[in-house]
Amino acid sequence: MLTEATRRRTITAEKVAINAVLAGCRPEYMPVLLGALEAMADPAFTLHGAITSTGGSATLVVVNGPIRQRLGFNAGGNVFGPGWRANATIGRAIRLITLNCLGAQPGLLDRSTQGHPGKYTYCIAELEEENPWEPLHVTRGLAPGTSAVTVFAAEGPHNVLSHYGETAEAVIVALADTMASLGSFSPGESFVVLAPEHVQILARDGWTKPRIREALYARARRTVADLKRGGKLAGAVEPGDETRWEHRGRGPEDIHIVVAGGGAGGHSAFIPSWSRDRNSLSVTKEIR
Amino acid sequence: MTLKILDPTVSADEATDVAVAKRVADLDGKVLGLLHNGKVNGDHLLDLVREQLAARYGLRDVVVVRKPSASRVAEDAVLDRLARECDAVVTAIGD
Repeated sequence: MLTEATRRRTITAEKVAINAVLAGCRPEYMPVLLGALEAMADPAFTLHGAITSTGGSATLVVVNGPIRQRLGFNAGGNVFGPGWRANATIGRAIRLITLNCLGAQPGLLDRSTQGHPGKYTYCIAELEEENPWEPLHVTRGLAPGTSAVTVFAAEGPHNVLSHYGETAEAVIVALADTMASLGSFSPGESFVVLAPEHVQILARDGWTKPRIREALYARARRTVADLKRGGKLAGAVEPGDETRWEHRGRGPEDIHIVVAGGGAGGHSAFIPSWSRDRNSLSVTKEIR
Repeated sequence: MTLKILDPTVSADEATDVAVAKRVADLDGKVLGLLHNGKVNGDHLLDLVREQLAARYGLRDVVVVRKPSASRVAEDAVLDRLARECDAVVTAIGD
């Protein structure tokens, strides 16, 4: 049912089911797992590269729509952490399938330099009830009321602590600064997982989702000189490099906003792409 | 009671739609393909391979192709060209 394009391995529904049971999935999780695998098989995702590269990405899975409540996904406190069977086992099933069916075993096809803990499991749901704008899957073109899964070949979450500004401006400053840090800097896509406290501040100050995306794109930037000094670009700093700017992403539409996390605490997360440009893109599929 | 063991793995030889090309015994009079995957220094590595193989065999010709992106699979047209024009292909990454 799923054929990986590079090495042409086909994963049957039986193999998916065996790995899902090993991971601890309940039978009713299958539509979400199949949706995630279908999205990962989309050519835009570049599955083989994502699961084998030194970059060490994991598949971030974001679940939207009414299926969240039906299957008991956590979108609240400790959203990236343990404690919820649906989140834990769907992410784990995806990892087992990459290990068992796609040959991405550490040291063999998986050549991650360091990898990250999301390779055990990396599945969250959006807290749509605390989202004053529209949820991720609707922004990405699906109808409200549908259930959807979004996959993203991603680094781990980078914490964005901003407790004391209590203004939209302060939240945006902290987010943009994290997104502009050299370590993960590239023109790739970004996921920004906003905590409810930050969402309330942004909404109170009149910020819309498009405005947030535009502001983050405008501010998450570095000079070519910085990128050269940090070994992100080859060559010596040349005249003009101090005033030439590169941005995080190719435009505001490369910054995807998700609401999730507990009611208390000003901790949002920036999740950078594995891909340093357009080579792997996030994909959203409706769950049927 | 019988116990049935289910295998969670898919092995490489279960790959579908793949026929392995015939192996060549040597490269004398053959066309060598060099596919650079786009990573930094991959071209230098392939230059060395070309030098070594040219010293050892009488290559008829060498076809050099570069992928635009290291992460993505080579386009069908590139793979078709290599299959059509070459007897053997060496591919390399860099970094």
